[in-house]
This record gives sequence, C-alpha cells and structure tokens, in this order.
Amino acid sequence: MKIRMFLIVALFFLVLVLALFLGPTVISPFAVDPTSREILFSIRAPRVVVAALMGMALGASGAVLQGMLRNPLADPYILGISSGASLSAALGILGGLTFLGEFTIPVLAFIGAIITGSIVGMMGWKRGGLWPERLLLAGVGLSFLFSALLMLIMSVSSDEGIRKAILWIFGDLSMSDWSRIPYGLSFVLAGTILAGTKAKALNALILGDEFAHSLGFTPHRERFILFVAVGLLTAASVSLGGMIGFIGLLVPHIIRFFMGSDGRVLIPASALVGGALLCVADLISRSVIPPMELPAGIITALIGSPYFLYLLRRKNVLGV
Amino acid sequence: MKKVLLFLTLIVFCSFSSSSRAGETPQRIISLAPNMTEILFALGLGNTIVGVTSFCDFPDEAKRKPKVGGMSNPSLEAVISLKPDVVVMTIDGNPREFEERLRSLGINTYVFRARRLWELPQGIRDLGKALGVQERAETFAREFEAALERVGAGERPIGTHKPPPREKALFIVWPEPLIAAGPGTVINDALTLIGLDNIASKSRVSYPKYSIEEIIRRAPEVIIIGRGMEREGIEKISAGLLKRLHAVPAVRNKRVFYVSDDLYRLGPRTIRGIEEISRLVDR
Repeated sequence: MKIRMFLIVALFFLVLVLALFLGPTVISPFAVDPTSREILFSIRAPRVVVAALMGMALGASGAVLQGMLRNPLADPYILGISSGASLSAALGILGGLTFLGEFTIPVLAFIGAIITGSIVGMMGWKRGGLWPERLLLAGVGLSFLFSALLMLIMSVSSDEGIRKAILWIFGDLSMSDWSRIPYGLSFVLAGTILAGTKAKALNALILGDEFAHSLGFTPHRERFILFVAVGLLTAASVSLGGMIGFIGLLVPHIIRFFMGSDGRVLIPASALVGGALLCVADLISRSVIPPMELPAGIITALIGSPYFLYLLRRKNVLGV
Repeated sequence: MKKVLLFLTLIVFCSFSSSSRAGETPQRIISLAPNMTEILFALGLGNTIVGVTSFCDFPDEAKRKPKVGGMSNPSLEAVISLKPDVVVMTIDGNPREFEERLRSLGINTYVFRARRLWELPQGIRDLGKALGVQERAETFAREFEAALERVGAGERPIGTHKPPPREKALFIVWPEPLIAAGPGTVINDALTLIGLDNIASKSRVSYPKYSIEEIIRRAPEVIIIGRGMEREGIEKISAGLLKRLHAVPAVRNKRVFYVSDDLYRLGPRTIRGIEEISRLVDR
C-alpha cells in the first residue's frame, strides 16, 4: 500500500512537470529563450497549478461524498453546488458585471456555490442533523431548478452572451493566472485537510449510522463537518475554472479498485489522481489542434470513461 | 379530417394569393437577422418591415418593430400572424428547417447567401432584384464596392511590385475566455483588406478559442478588441488578458485598440467598421 501511495505521489509530480514543458510547442528545460520563459512562467505554470488544484478538489470531494451519502453515484455536482455557481457566474457574464474586474466571475461563482451549499444543507437538516437521502434529494431538486433558470436566462439572451456562458460552464482553464492561485490553494487545502482529519469517521459512516455510533462517532456532527469540507472544495474548484465532469464521480471508484475504500488512503489518493488526470486532460486539450483549444472537461471524460469501463469489466466491483 | 384538409387548403390558398411575385415590391417584410434588418432599412424598405428579431437594434426604428423571437429560434406563430409577403433570412444564423417550414406553409422566403465581405455587393443586387428595388440596391452595391476599393487601395503603394510587409494582427471577439476572429469571417476579410495579417486566419473554425501561449509565440504587432455589446466594461475585462500578454509587441508598443461592433454584421455599417480599424492602425 505504501508503495502504491508513493507511486501515486511520484506520478502526480511527474505529470505536473510534463504538463509544464509539453504543449502546442515543446519547451526544452535546457534551452529556454525569453519567449519560452514568459510562456512557461506566466501562462503554463499557473495553468498547470490550477488544473492540479481543481482536479484535487474534485477527486477528494467525490471520495468524501460517495462515502458520506453512501451512494456510488454521488459526485461534487450532485448537490447542486455547481449549478448554483454556474447560475451565478452566468448571470454575471450575461449581465456584463465587472465590478471586481477579472475576479468578478470567479467570485460570483464562489458566492453562488456557498449560498447553494447552505440551502442544500438547510434542506437536508432535520431533527438535529444532516440526512444523506435528504441532502441528495435537496441537491438534485435544487440543481434541476438552477439548471432550468440557467436555460431560461440563456434562451432569452443574445447569441454572443450564450457562447461566453457556455464556454465558462464547460470548464475553462485558459484564463488561469497566478492571482487566482492563493485563494484556490487555501480553500482546496483547507477542504482536503478537513476531510482528511475526518477520514476515520467517514469509514465508520459508510457502515451505517448505528455502527458509527457504536464506534464512538456522532454521525450528524461528522457528516456536517464533511459536508462543509465538500462545499469548500466544490466551490473552490468551480470558481477556479467552471465545471469539469468525470473526475469527481469516477476517480474515487478507480482508486477503490486498486487501493480499497479506507478513507485515509482514498481521500489523498483520489485528490492526487484527480489532479494528475486534469493536468493530462488540459495538456491534451491545448496541444492537439493548436492554436485552438478544446474544453478540458471533454478530454477528462474521453480518456477516463473507457478506462473506467475497462476496469469495471476486469475487476470485481463491490464483490460481485 | 375533411375539415382539416379544407382548412389547410384555405391557408395555402390565402398565402399564395397574398404572396408577391418576383420583382414586385412586397408590402409586408419580416427580417430574421439583424444585418438583414439594417440592409432592408438601407434599401429604403424600412416602412414595409412588419417584424424583426429581438436582436435587431439598428437603426433605432428597428427597435420599435414587432418582435418575432430570436435568430435561431424565431416563433413560427408570430411570423405567420404578421401575414408577411416575404420573410428575409440569412444562411448565416437562421435554421434551414425554419425556412423549409415557412415554405411548406406557403410563405415566401428569401435567403440571403452572402457571408463574406466581397460577396455582399452581389448579395445586395440579388436581394434588390427579388424585392423590386434594383436601382437602390445597385447604388448601394456600387458605393460598397467603391468603398472597398478605397480602403484596400490606401494600403498598397502604386507601382511597387513587392507589397509592404504585413503587420501581424489579432482580432479578439471576447477576451475571457479568449475568442478570436478566424477564417471565413467578415473581420478576417477586413483585416486582410487593410493589409493586416490575421494570426488566427489558419484556424479550423471561424471563431476559435485561441491559445494564449500561441499569441505570445506568434507575437502580433496589432491587437484589436471588439467591444461587442459591452460598450463600457470591455477595458476592465481585457485588463487581465493584456497583463498576461505584456511581452507581446502590440501590448508593448501600445497598439491595442478597442473597436465598435460595426464589423460584426455584414451590412451597411461594415465599411464604417473597416474604416475605423484602418484609421486606428494607421495612426
């Protein structure tokens, strides 16, 4: 297990370095001209870091949510947090809001995510605690409502605005900038650490509330803390670069195939593999048809899904 | 069933009897594209326009015309209820199915096929012929051709065999995420016409999401940013992008220009848009 974890850490950093030097043009680390240095430091490096952070946030929060809600289909987007963020960002884009300059849209997305997370939390709250089923249903209901509102706004707005909003919603890493990294990093670290400290509680929660209780955990309290962690992670990832599918849902499952479902391993491993996968996807999306770029979300699903399906056939899932 | 058939025949009959023959000036025109609305007004047909899309905002009178929906999703009912003699559409933006639907209901349609700069004069002539305003269309087309000649000629010194080296340029339609004007667009035609070399002209799509590091590598000497609908905030929105492009010649030498949306629509204002860029770049 230690070796596998070490391999994952090594893979993560290897991918980071590769993503830095590969791209529409390969930059050799030994012969760097001023233009390449500029590209390396102010364009690629922040982009690679943002991709890694987003992927980490999605992987970790997916791992937490699936355990916490005891549902293999849960992902960071199922709680409606991302639809809330998208709705708020799209309103900003279509309304032409610029009060915070380049930060306007990420900040709006973050606020939208936090507000939506709180609403879902309140809806899922009953008799002094959060209930998995209530959370799930509240999230699904809210995300339908927000998606419908989003569609409504988009169908009555101009074609130009729609294009901008769609690009944003489908995930866009091209505007990644050093200025976004400090807050992204702090929220992702805070969320991952918070989730990591509750890994044992997560293991207990998977077995059911009574069992967790008998192990000395207070299910409602643990679930609440985990929910806050997931909210922070999802909000940070959506405001960093919009919505990227696949990672939050399927990376934790891939990790479970190889390393089991102990939260203490699952959460950090899902984070690292999620980060690495998004870096690779972004590398492909900016390199295949230069000077054009593709949305990275398409690539994550294109390379991830076949591999996941292959694993599903090969491995014994859920002991069946 | 019989009643339905009778009803359908009646509709078809009515619409046929009210439809105009080619060359006759129609009295009730619906325009399904903003640039077509502008062209129709320029041809002096403004009074006969009975319906426009919700994006038709120029000239000011167009805003007061009844709306029939968007460009890609006009309302069939709204169009029919306005009893048009002809519905003017464009190949660039209106769904073909909608046109087929209208024709199957016996409503006259005219599809404007010009989408490039030099296709416009002939497009206008054809439109004029169909709508019975040949002379005005001919005048418009001639003026447009003359203006193209004028703008294009200014860049080529007469008598020299070798054209002057073209400045590399990039037209940014939207800064964040970065969308550039690529091949097949009126903007690309315009840049070429005034002697600029569009670095995005070899992309695969008309409006590519352009790679920022490729901009740095290709080092454009002129960057033009379209204001689009955002007339005020675009400088703020572009600030982040320009900061990241600080090493590019255009930014270093302060050759970044903001332009109006005149170029976005192929119509009477296009020339003004080309002249605007030409003026800014020459200075």
